[in-house]
Amino acid sequence: MTERRAARLGLAGALALVLAQLGVGSAWSLTHDDPTELELTRRCLERERGFAVEETIGDAVASSASGGTVTAIVEGNLVVISVVASADEAERLRLAYGSAEGELGPRLEVRGRYVSRWRRDPSGTQRQATYDCAY
Amino acid sequence: MFAWNAWRFDWLRGYDASANDLYADLVARENALPSETESGVWHTPPLWFALVGGLRRLAEAAGWEPVQRPGQLLAALAGIALCVVVLLLARELWPSRHALQLVALVTIAASPALVRASAMYHPETLAAALGTGGLLVAVRTLRRGPTYASGITAGGLLGLASLTRAWALPVLVVVSVAVILGAATRRVWGPALALVVTAGALVAPWLANQQLVHGSPFAFNREAPDAALLGRRPAAFFLGPRALRVFDHPVTPIHRNELVPQLYADWWGDWALTWDTPPQPLPGALLPSHVVAERVRQSIAGIVPTIAGLAGLIALAVLGAARRSLAIALVPAASLAVAAAFVLFTVRYPSTDGDTIKATYLLLALPGAAVGTGFVVDSLRPVGRLGTLVVVLAVAVLVAVQVPFLVL
Repeated sequence: MTERRAARLGLAGALALVLAQLGVGSAWSLTHDDPTELELTRRCLERERGFAVEETIGDAVASSASGGTVTAIVEGNLVVISVVASADEAERLRLAYGSAEGELGPRLEVRGRYVSRWRRDPSGTQRQATYDCAY
Repeated sequence: MFAWNAWRFDWLRGYDASANDLYADLVARENALPSETESGVWHTPPLWFALVGGLRRLAEAAGWEPVQRPGQLLAALAGIALCVVVLLLARELWPSRHALQLVALVTIAASPALVRASAMYHPETLAAALGTGGLLVAVRTLRRGPTYASGITAGGLLGLASLTRAWALPVLVVVSVAVILGAATRRVWGPALALVVTAGALVAPWLANQQLVHGSPFAFNREAPDAALLGRRPAAFFLGPRALRVFDHPVTPIHRNELVPQLYADWWGDWALTWDTPPQPLPGALLPSHVVAERVRQSIAGIVPTIAGLAGLIALAVLGAARRSLAIALVPAASLAVAAAFVLFTVRYPSTDGDTIKATYLLLALPGAAVGTGFVVDSLRPVGRLGTLVVVLAVAVLVAVQVPFLVL
């Protein structure tokens, strides 16, 4: 057994192991979609908290969010939740709401990847409900 | 780099930092082992804590803040010692192949898991340095012939390593078996016996204490589930279905508890976000984009060295078997034993947060992979100056790409 041959065998074995792992990963990626943050949030609001959840309609700013948007009625207060991918995008949505609707005060909240546009000033428990469904 | 990082790294960001400090303080003040309520890492052997506890008291007396810094510098010193030992190991096996030695040295010194561990207030690097020191002495013994001094030294180093972290125990077992096989071939039993007795004398009291006080020599800080071993982890743990996501989002919580992807992401970056990042974000919070981008770059940079390291371990095993060389076979066997113990541990103790899958647990498997990488690269490189130049350039690029991540 020459050292070169041992090294070649080692390389072949290592490539086989790595390709096997990548094969499993590729097969999974092709056949499964992990739930998005929006889907997880929607599922949480609907199933775990029992709120009414529907598609967002007529909110051009929320509809432009890269992570999607959902509307929920949280303890009687309607909230449009948008999911963004970066702080820059969150700022873009905040500015767009500002120019479209003027100063919203506590009715507009940017928290991490979530931008929430409330119909009325939210109470503490209403806010907490959306925090609990953030992923 | 190791000392610089240790100096700059916030000691509280290291694994189990507070529990480590409670343990070290208790050992230094009361010369006692912690109970299960006094430190969350009571299951860890006491050598590093005794050393660091002493350094901690000196720092207190000198008014040096933080008093944990000497412990971090000890971890850095042990990390540097590990790199030197790996260089000596490569030299011992292939004395005239300088490119092999250089690649082995660079591979280990630029390994992110070792660099991170060397900055932490944590015993992992000390165990790795001592254990690999014992491995080196055993390899020398197998190549040059046994002496009582080499048996006692190897046993002493491996016993002390096992008194630092339990991950050294598989190395101790494999080295003992190899040295006993070597003794059987030469019909010289004394040095092998000296190795086993020395290591046993050092580690047996600790294991006996664990058995008597905690009910098992390998007691851990949580109960193992009452289920069949193979039923404790889902198929996703073994298969790693989200493996491709290490190239777009190699941080928590993606591929949590998927063994290979989480380990890979943690080895080349820091899956749990403890290194040069803001604290782990709350649910829904955004990570700064450069944090993810830097770790993605690390994941991509890790592809070639990972393949080379695996190839090296397989190649050394094949070569050792083909040439019936215990000295060569011992190097990959030690790595394999540590990897097997790690997999057994992670299966035995599942955790919802992925806490039992950490790349730093595998530091004692790294020397074999580093020497193996050197072997494969040196054996397959084109001969002549051009080949050497290509290897040097490739290694330099690989290190340069990682520097922004490795240096705090």
